[in-house]
Amino acid sequence: MSKALLCCCEDVTASEVEHAIEKGYRDIESVKRFTGFGTGMCQGKQCLTAVARLLESKAKTKPSQLMPFTPRPPLFPTELSLWASASFDPAVAPGGGVPESIGLTENALKPEAPVPSKAKIVIIGGGILGLSLAWNLAQRGETDIVVLEKGYLCAGASGRNGGGVRMQWGTPTLITLAQRSIELMKRFARDMGINVWFRQGGYLFLAKSEAVVSKLERAAQLHNKHGVPTQILTPDAAREVVPELTMTGVKAAAWNPLDGVIFPWPFLWGYATAAQKKGVKVETFTKVIGFEQSQHRIKKVITDRGDIECETVVLAGGAWSPAIAALAGVDLPNEPHRHEICSTEPLKPFLGPLVSVLDSGLYFSQSMRGEIVGGMGDAREPAGMNLGSTQRFLTRYSQALTEQMPQVGRVKILRQWSGPYDVTPDNSPILGRTPGLPNLIQLSGFVGHGFMMAPAVTERMAAWMATNESDELFERFTLSRFEEGRMEREDMIIG
Amino acid sequence: MSHRITPIDHPVTFEIDGESITGQDGDTIAVAFVAAGRTTLSRSIKYHRPRGPFCLSGGCSHCLVRVDGVPNQPSCQVDIKPGMRVERQNAFPDASVDVLQATDLVFSKWFNHHEFLAGVPLIEKVMLQVARKLAGLGLLPEKPAPTREPPVVESVGVAIVGGGAAGLSAARRLTERNVAFTLFERDRSCGGRLLHGCDEGAPAVVVPSGTSIRTGATVVGVFSDDHKPFLAVVQHQRLHFVFYERLLLANGGQPTLLTFPNNDLPGVFASRAVSRMIRKHGVLPGARIAVVGDGDEAKSLAKLIGANGGTAVAVGAEPLRAHGVRSVQALTVSLQGRIEKVDCDAVALCAPVSPAFELARAAGARVGWDSRSHLFTVETDAAGKSADTVWVAGELRGPMSAAAATEQGLVAAESIASAIKGATP
Repeated sequence: MSKALLCCCEDVTASEVEHAIEKGYRDIESVKRFTGFGTGMCQGKQCLTAVARLLESKAKTKPSQLMPFTPRPPLFPTELSLWASASFDPAVAPGGGVPESIGLTENALKPEAPVPSKAKIVIIGGGILGLSLAWNLAQRGETDIVVLEKGYLCAGASGRNGGGVRMQWGTPTLITLAQRSIELMKRFARDMGINVWFRQGGYLFLAKSEAVVSKLERAAQLHNKHGVPTQILTPDAAREVVPELTMTGVKAAAWNPLDGVIFPWPFLWGYATAAQKKGVKVETFTKVIGFEQSQHRIKKVITDRGDIECETVVLAGGAWSPAIAALAGVDLPNEPHRHEICSTEPLKPFLGPLVSVLDSGLYFSQSMRGEIVGGMGDAREPAGMNLGSTQRFLTRYSQALTEQMPQVGRVKILRQWSGPYDVTPDNSPILGRTPGLPNLIQLSGFVGHGFMMAPAVTERMAAWMATNESDELFERFTLSRFEEGRMEREDMIIG
Repeated sequence: MSHRITPIDHPVTFEIDGESITGQDGDTIAVAFVAAGRTTLSRSIKYHRPRGPFCLSGGCSHCLVRVDGVPNQPSCQVDIKPGMRVERQNAFPDASVDVLQATDLVFSKWFNHHEFLAGVPLIEKVMLQVARKLAGLGLLPEKPAPTREPPVVESVGVAIVGGGAAGLSAARRLTERNVAFTLFERDRSCGGRLLHGCDEGAPAVVVPSGTSIRTGATVVGVFSDDHKPFLAVVQHQRLHFVFYERLLLANGGQPTLLTFPNNDLPGVFASRAVSRMIRKHGVLPGARIAVVGDGDEAKSLAKLIGANGGTAVAVGAEPLRAHGVRSVQALTVSLQGRIEKVDCDAVALCAPVSPAFELARAAGARVGWDSRSHLFTVETDAAGKSADTVWVAGELRGPMSAAAATEQGLVAAESIASAIKGATP
């Protein structure tokens, strides 16, 4: 039929971008995430200008507000085998990356109207935790809520992760939370009217050392006790799950077919849109610059678009939380750690589960669009907010991936990016009231798995906030545990 | 119908989906395909619309094919070789007759994948399975990659990316100033649009001799691991990491699509793809070619087409709608306020290229929207300097003639030479 194409790689039409504009998206990054334009084989070379022109003419986006989406290396799709041919020094900590920050003024996208001057609850952070909490509170009738997001929706870690969702954890708390999250994800489309393409292809963990084998065995016992059907497999049995895998150095595997992968972007919009329909205000491109306090309470949240008088503040800023908490004089022990990730050209589906080598931190899965999306934690990564991309990562990842699955050697990497893990001293989240500042509620420190825990955690947090009934989650995982020496250690962390 | 202006004298026969096609040695798969009068080279990812080559510069997805068991190769960048096995992708039963094109009819404007059948019990599950079946483009490669040589690590004083008008003039000026440099050009020969554009006032191609100019070298990234900037270059299937002190980016731009219904039909080409086929490969992609869009370029391309035995129609008109089932057969245009439907078997879209600012941005340059040209351009000072050690010349800075790009290359090179002099004690 007679479509006018804008993005030929992903078959995005002019009508589709116009629909995004009608939905209120005015900036390139948001339109990219909503329509998928610019995410295909050419990475925007053919379409970016045409979309920008449409925004200029139809959405009346000003020239200063038209900023290209961040170009991601490589410039042309480049084979994994080539990146794997390089070497790196595992003893040296990685540093640097592109793009280096060059002070692009996202301020241009700041709405001109002030923020609401008053709200019962202010949630700082428009990532998955903040948005799902807002929706859960709204479900309970509490709609006097403002969510503050410094960028566009999906700008932070919630829009940068691989979408993996698993029940295979090392502590009962996380296992049961993940089970509940998966239940909620399965009915997400019914609840929210938006597809999130949740696919239960399973998680296959590979272990290459005896220590990791016993970790997996211990965890599997715990999983079975909680009704998670994790099995320990021999390397041969694991190859039956994914025939393309080599089992070089693999001693055993853990397999749970109920784990899966979800498409991160619509998962966020689903919550945001449904919360907005109930009256929640989501303010994007709005930065928190301070707090007004008196008598051990926060009275106002100060933003670059005005002050909001409020009763309760929830800090759900992910890896940016410590910097925001500092504005209120609160010292959080979380530290941001860069995690790099990349995506290949789209291939016809062949890979069912998400595969992870727990020893090295390698993980990869095939998205609903067919790309192999994966990453690999770097134990030498220093703390600090760095969202740059490195050649070192491409090389480490490509070496590890092609060793495990040689047939992908000539598959090409399309783009790489990174996101921050929000790391706490015991790998467990920080939840509940802040000592000395009880109307500041903490909701951060999820060490890379906040995305999958969000539906279950915020369901409980909303109930706890609305009813004041006690919930051990918000008593055990408090900020005060670090001073009191009550660590809540989790050891099934990838990377 | 396309035809060869110069007959084949060095034939090379290869195979597309089991069928033999003979092209001229030096043709890419895409060019040989067009010259053979064929149209549908691929099927689009979602709606299975027929696609043929568009940009011929490796910057779009129209011509992706499987070559000797490796998926998603841009056929405009792969030279034909005897016995080469090319397969068209993403089609059932085959690319010429693809029943999956039904999706294009069902979703006549677009497909709202966010809300389509969302939350409908049972159907939702079926949809997930269908979507999974239809996803992706090529099949996994047949075999693992051959062993690759480890990267060559090198250091250069000045690295130039792009051997077109701006890059070459900069190379000449740096040679005159005795400044060592290495130039990387993706094509097999330098010249860019001087060699195969249609700009009439373009200067001749002069490649400075005795200098380090590498052709067939694709810069795939600027990296800054440990805050030390370097280029990642792929040449002969091997990586090179090139650390530089100063960088001159002159890598031009990519053809962009003009927006009108059926703008993706086979037979719709970027203007530079048409002039490249004529000047470099001796192939005329159609007998009646609608040359639409930007006035000056349209006029000179029309001349080039006419001089090579083709007919240019609707020159400089605004394209409104392309017609045709498997390839373009007519174009509705607006010409001097009149709307008419013109018969044609190819379309050339004349429009300034979109600056390929990705490397510049990674190297620390600023990129902004230019509301005159309606393009994202790289911001520089008058000498072309855009960041501490980074200069930019030519079409990365906006639409300009080949002569103007040549001048910018000279100015940037002069600025680099004096910066080096200033830094040397």
